[in-house]
Amino acid sequence: MNAQTESNSADANKGEFFRKYGTVLAAVVIFIVFSIAAPRFLTSKNMFMLLRQMSILTIISLGFTFVMAAGGFDMSIGYSIGLVSIIFAIVMIGTGSLLLGCLAALIVGLLVGSLNGFLIAYIGLPDFIGSFAVGSILYGLKMLITRGNPIYFDDNVSKVFVFLGQGFVGPIPFPVILMVVYAVLTAFVLGKTPFGRRIYAIGGNSLAALYAGIKIKRYRFSTFIISGFSIAFSSVIMTSRIASAQPLGGEEYLMDAISSVYLSTTMFGEGEPTAKGTFIGAFIITMLTNGLTMLNVPYYFQYITKGVVVILAVLISVTYGQKMRVKF
Amino acid sequence: MLLQARGVGKAFSGVSVLRDIDFNLEAGEIHALAGENGAGKSTFIKILSGVYSHDSGHIELDNKTVEFKNIKNSELAGIRTVHQEINLVPFFKVYQNIFAGDEIRKNFLGIDYTDDTLMIKKSREVFAKLCIDIDPLSYTHGLDTSRQRIVQIAKILVQNPRVMIFDEPTTSLGEKERAQLLEIIKSLKSQNIGIIYISHNLDEIMEIADRISVFRDGAKVGSKDIEECTKTSIVSMMIGKKEYVLYSRKEKPDPEATLLRLEGLTNKKLKNVNISLHKGEILGIAGVMGAGKSEIARAIYGIDKIEHGRTYLKEKQFNPDIHFSLNNRIAFVPEERQAEGLVANFSVEKNISLAYLNSFKRGLKIDSKRETATAKEYIDTMGIKTAGPGQAIKFLSGGNQQKVILSRWLYGDFEIGLFDEPTKGIDVKAKEDIYRLIGKMADNGKGVIFFSSYLPELLTVCDRIIVMVNGKVKGEYKTGEPDVEQHIFEAMLSGGTNNECPD
Repeated sequence: MNAQTESNSADANKGEFFRKYGTVLAAVVIFIVFSIAAPRFLTSKNMFMLLRQMSILTIISLGFTFVMAAGGFDMSIGYSIGLVSIIFAIVMIGTGSLLLGCLAALIVGLLVGSLNGFLIAYIGLPDFIGSFAVGSILYGLKMLITRGNPIYFDDNVSKVFVFLGQGFVGPIPFPVILMVVYAVLTAFVLGKTPFGRRIYAIGGNSLAALYAGIKIKRYRFSTFIISGFSIAFSSVIMTSRIASAQPLGGEEYLMDAISSVYLSTTMFGEGEPTAKGTFIGAFIITMLTNGLTMLNVPYYFQYITKGVVVILAVLISVTYGQKMRVKF
Repeated sequence: MLLQARGVGKAFSGVSVLRDIDFNLEAGEIHALAGENGAGKSTFIKILSGVYSHDSGHIELDNKTVEFKNIKNSELAGIRTVHQEINLVPFFKVYQNIFAGDEIRKNFLGIDYTDDTLMIKKSREVFAKLCIDIDPLSYTHGLDTSRQRIVQIAKILVQNPRVMIFDEPTTSLGEKERAQLLEIIKSLKSQNIGIIYISHNLDEIMEIADRISVFRDGAKVGSKDIEECTKTSIVSMMIGKKEYVLYSRKEKPDPEATLLRLEGLTNKKLKNVNISLHKGEILGIAGVMGAGKSEIARAIYGIDKIEHGRTYLKEKQFNPDIHFSLNNRIAFVPEERQAEGLVANFSVEKNISLAYLNSFKRGLKIDSKRETATAKEYIDTMGIKTAGPGQAIKFLSGGNQQKVILSRWLYGDFEIGLFDEPTKGIDVKAKEDIYRLIGKMADNGKGVIFFSSYLPELLTVCDRIIVMVNGKVKGEYKTGEPDVEQHIFEAMLSGGTNNECPD
């Protein structure tokens, strides 16, 4: 069988190449098109802006990568990020302490993660339904707390807080640094540790994982906790960046995070999302928003483009992936 | 003659699986088919029902030559199969299932719609003929398995079949239901239907069949009137004359050192199972499909719950649990390699390290160098054919995949191996490799329980064989003794209806 695989002609090698790098290649093409079509696109200023724009999405998506690597899904992302933001703002304004605010954000993020994890991993609700229902509860809570009104900070708010989302270290926006650190950390955990390996094993074949002694409920639960943590983390940065807590804030991150992680599964021919892939995926999604805005494409066309790009990317990888599967 | 086959043969990609089959069936006759797994029974049945076409010979129905291009062809000619699996729609009413796909329609003012009244009436008639009290208007999911089976038969009877093929119809039925179903099948004779009956249960065959045809290695050994047969003579025909040479082993099992002992193990599928396994022993567990083999492995390993009974590891009682098994070096090779054993997307090395991953830890990381080195070692010693430790396991052949799974447990230095159909779906050469490897494991003092429905392999590999029938231990045999194959076969194929079981 090996000989057969190897003897397959250049055609198959080309297929293999596209299967692995098709998405990255597409991203490069889009990048070049934007660079030519929009003169202000390929400038260092815009590149740093793009990186800053993608940082919140990347952190959320990295958390979501754990959930999807274990074969799960989380539909509550968009709503939990807003709820965390609101509670963070209320506690911080009420106590005047950034630390207590962050603590509150962390607690809410972890609570949401535990609720998802409990319902899905332990009770056994399907991921979509469980997290969708949790999302609905979170949406209701957001509205109940704010009555639909945004929360603003006053002018003498903590400088550290402002720095989190708006600061720079040299030319580099601070959120970009946070994003890179988090990406390296998650890449290590997913790619190098027994914990990450077991997560992938569960996503690959949960029965085989169970029979190999992996406590699959506990691990699946923990992926939702990590997703909850990532949401708390990114929500604090988001709140700082827009200097307020918006009742509908962050809802667009659901679609964008799903897209990023889905793009991630199409990269490097692994069929599983990786931290590296998610990072590139978030970059692609943000680049589309950024570049299309520069070309003065109305926002509704941006949504259509994003949808089409995701479908195409998945189709390409599935076409090559499918061939492999049929063959063996 | 209702149905007649002459010289029917079939080959798959050049390999002949069925040779020169002569077979005939009269109207109103029950003709049983018997043979080991892979003897050719099911291929023959699939030819009759139009799933496969035959390469040679010809088939006559009512003395007219027929050629079935597909299942529909064969069904229209009046040949219908009662499949082993019950495929009824649970939330349909009984009559809806009976006519599913063949609804009776009527036309009113140009509108075509189903004639439910007529379908209900016809369903009632069929059940009345069978002397069975099932309400056509009740929901199918409310019926027990045997009644669902009867609905399945009724579904065929409304189509006025000429030939009915029953494929292991009594599997998973209790005693009373089994008897009832057999009565029903017998009653079909009076409707002039020709019946082909396949069963592993020779008692059943002796009870209801008029004639029997025995298949072996893709050919028919003979057909006989049932009065001329005994269970023993049928089994002799099935197995023929074969020599089994036991694999030579360096070490003998140590009967003093009991590794594992089950005492009255009982759960949903198992009844009062007593088994012990010794150091350096290969214990075979034989039985037809559904006899409760896998269930023993799953109960010991800690997957299925135990309701009664005790389990002892080296004479110390324990409660089976997967983590206990891993910590105490009990290995489990599941029957479904793809679905339960391996992570298809993972590389060979990742599949090997999966169960004892923590032992590869260095600091927070997996020591990938050691992981690769370990995998290379097993690739060499086990003779795994792969492009390298990094190749995805899905690209390996079944035999090599199985060797990877065995490596996973060898790395954990297992003491007790529970190998459920470890050679299922792998080629002959790889099978030999696996027998040899298991022999070596026993030589190294490990105890292995080898679960298989393929008796010849148990006869060549095992020290002792325990036969399971219907979740009970039917008997225990030492390999290498005269006529052991005959005895085991008879035990395997008896229905558990007679009370020779030691319980």
